Amino acid sequence: MIRLLLLLLLLAFPAAAQVAPPPPAAPPTIAPPSLAAQLSVSTIEVTTAFTGGEILVFGATERLIGAQGDEVVVLATGPSTSLVVRQKVEMLGAWINGPSARFNRVPTYWALASTSPVATLLDGVERQDLRLGLDLLPLVQLGARGPQFRAALASLKQDAGLWVDQVKPVEVSGGRLFHARLPLPATVQTGAYQIQVMLVREGRVVARQELRLDVVRSGTAAWIADVARGQPVLYGLACILLAALAGWIGSVLFRRG
Amino acid sequence: MQVYLPIAEMSVDALLLLGIGFGVGWLSGLFGVGGGFLLTPLLILIGIPSPVAVGSGANQTLGASVSGLMAQWRRGNVDVRMGSVLLVGGFAGSLLGVQLFAWLRRLGQVDLAVSIFYIVVLGTVGALMMRESLTAILRRRRARPRRLHEHFWMHGLPLKMRFRKSRLYISVIPPLLVGFLIGVLSAVMGVGGGFMLVPAMIYLLGMPTAVVIGTSLFQVVFVTANVTFLQAIQVGSVDIVLTLLLLAGGVVGAQIGAAMGTRLRGEETRALLGALVLSVALALLWDLLRVPEQLFVIGPVP
Repeated sequence: MIRLLLLLLLLAFPAAAQVAPPPPAAPPTIAPPSLAAQLSVSTIEVTTAFTGGEILVFGATERLIGAQGDEVVVLATGPSTSLVVRQKVEMLGAWINGPSARFNRVPTYWALASTSPVATLLDGVERQDLRLGLDLLPLVQLGARGPQFRAALASLKQDAGLWVDQVKPVEVSGGRLFHARLPLPATVQTGAYQIQVMLVREGRVVARQELRLDVVRSGTAAWIADVARGQPVLYGLACILLAALAGWIGSVLFRRG
Repeated sequence: MQVYLPIAEMSVDALLLLGIGFGVGWLSGLFGVGGGFLLTPLLILIGIPSPVAVGSGANQTLGASVSGLMAQWRRGNVDVRMGSVLLVGGFAGSLLGVQLFAWLRRLGQVDLAVSIFYIVVLGTVGALMMRESLTAILRRRRARPRRLHEHFWMHGLPLKMRFRKSRLYISVIPPLLVGFLIGVLSAVMGVGGGFMLVPAMIYLLGMPTAVVIGTSLFQVVFVTANVTFLQAIQVGSVDIVLTLLLLAGGVVGAQIGAAMGTRLRGEETRALLGALVLSVALALLWDLLRVPEQLFVIGPVP
C-alpha cells in the first residue's frame, strides 16, 4: 500500500523526486499557425511634411476571437532613452526646477491594445512577466525618490500621445480577422520599433509573433539632421550663409519693388 | 500646413511660423532692432525646446540684421571702427556665454536662467528707455542747446582711439566692455543684443543716433553669426528649417516696418519700443510667478 502510494507520488512529481530529467520547455508553436500577424508597412518615413502616422497591425487567428475563444494583445515599444523628470517648486515666489529623478531605458514610445481589457485576460503574474501595463514597465529611478516622478512621467508621456495604454481596442471582423491602429504622434523618435502580437487563450499566452518597424527620417529632414550631427562645423557655417543670403535677397527684392 | 522641424524633432504649423516671423520682423523694422528678444520667448511659448529656440533665434536675427545692415550701409551710417571694437568684446563675450549656457543646461536650470536674464535685462532696458523718451517728449518744446555728448569718467581711460563717423575720441575700454557684456547676454538669450546695444551706444558711449542703428546692426550680424556657429557645434540646436521659415516672414515684415518707421519721431519710436520691451519682461515675470499648469517637466539627460 505504502509502496503503491510512493510510486504514485513519483509518477506525479517526477521532477521533485529527481528520478526523471525535467521535460524540455516546449516552444508554444503549434503545427497549424494559431496566429498570423503582419504590419501594413515595414518602414515609416519621417519627411519634412511628417505630421504623425499610425502603426497598423493586422492578422488572423486559428479560432474565433471572443469571450469564449481567443483574444489578441498587441504591444509596441519604441527605442529607449534616458530622461530626467523635474519637479517645479516654489522658491521666493517663483516657480523653478526643483528635485529631479533620472530614468534610464525609458521607451520613447509604448502602446498597448487588445480585444478585451488586458486585466481581464491575464492574471497579475503573467502581465508582470510580459510587462503588459504602464505600471509594469521596469523603470529604474535614480536621484530624487518618490512615486510622484514616475506618475508624472507616465501622465506627461500619455498627454504627448507617446504612451498609449489601451485607448482603442483591437478590432475584430469576421470572427477571426483582427486589426489594431496604434497612433504615432509627430514627435516620435526615429529608430527600431518592436511590435509583439500575442494570442491569449484561457488566461495564457499560447502564441506570440514579433514584428519590426523602422521609423526613419527621410528626404530633406533626414539629410539636415545627418549633416547637423555628423558635420556640425559645416552645418553651422551653412546656417550662417543661408540666413545671410535670405536677408540679402529680401533687401534686394524690396529695394527694386 | 504642418512642417516637420528636423532638429527640434517636432512638427509645427508653417503659417504660424511665417506669421511670427512677419510680426517680429515688422516690429524690428519699425524700431531698428533685430527682434530676437521677442522671437525667442515666442518660440518657447509655442512649444519649441528652449535650446532650439535660442540657437535658431540667433540664426534668424542674423538674417534679419543683414537685411537692415545693407540698407544702413548704403546710407553710410555704419561706423566700422567702432563696430570692430564692439565685436572684439562681443566675440569674447559670446564664447563665455555659450559655455555658461552649456553649464546651466547641465544644471537643469536653463529655463529659469533664460527667464531671469530676460526679465532683468528687458525690464531694465525697457524702463530706462521709457523714462528717457517720455522726458524727451515732455521737454521737446523747451529746446535747449545740448553738448555733443556727455563725457563719463570711463571715457578718459587709457588706450584712446578716434572714431570719426561717431565723432568720438574715447578710450576703447568702454566699447570693449559693452561688447563683451552684450556678447554674453546674446549667447544665453539667443538674441543679437540690438535692443541693449542701441541704448548703450547712445547713453554710455555717447554716439550720435544716426550711426547707432547701422553700427549696432553691424555688430549684431557678426555676434549672431558667432552664436549660431557655437550653438551648432556645442549644443547642436540650430534648426535651419525653423530659421528659414521665420526669415521668410521676417524679411517682408521688416521692410514694411521700416517704411512705417520713417514716419515716426525718434522719441516716440523709443517710447513705443520701451513699452514693448517692458511688456515682454512683465509677461515673462508673470509666467515665472504664477502656479505652473504642469508641476513636472520631462527633459533629456544633460
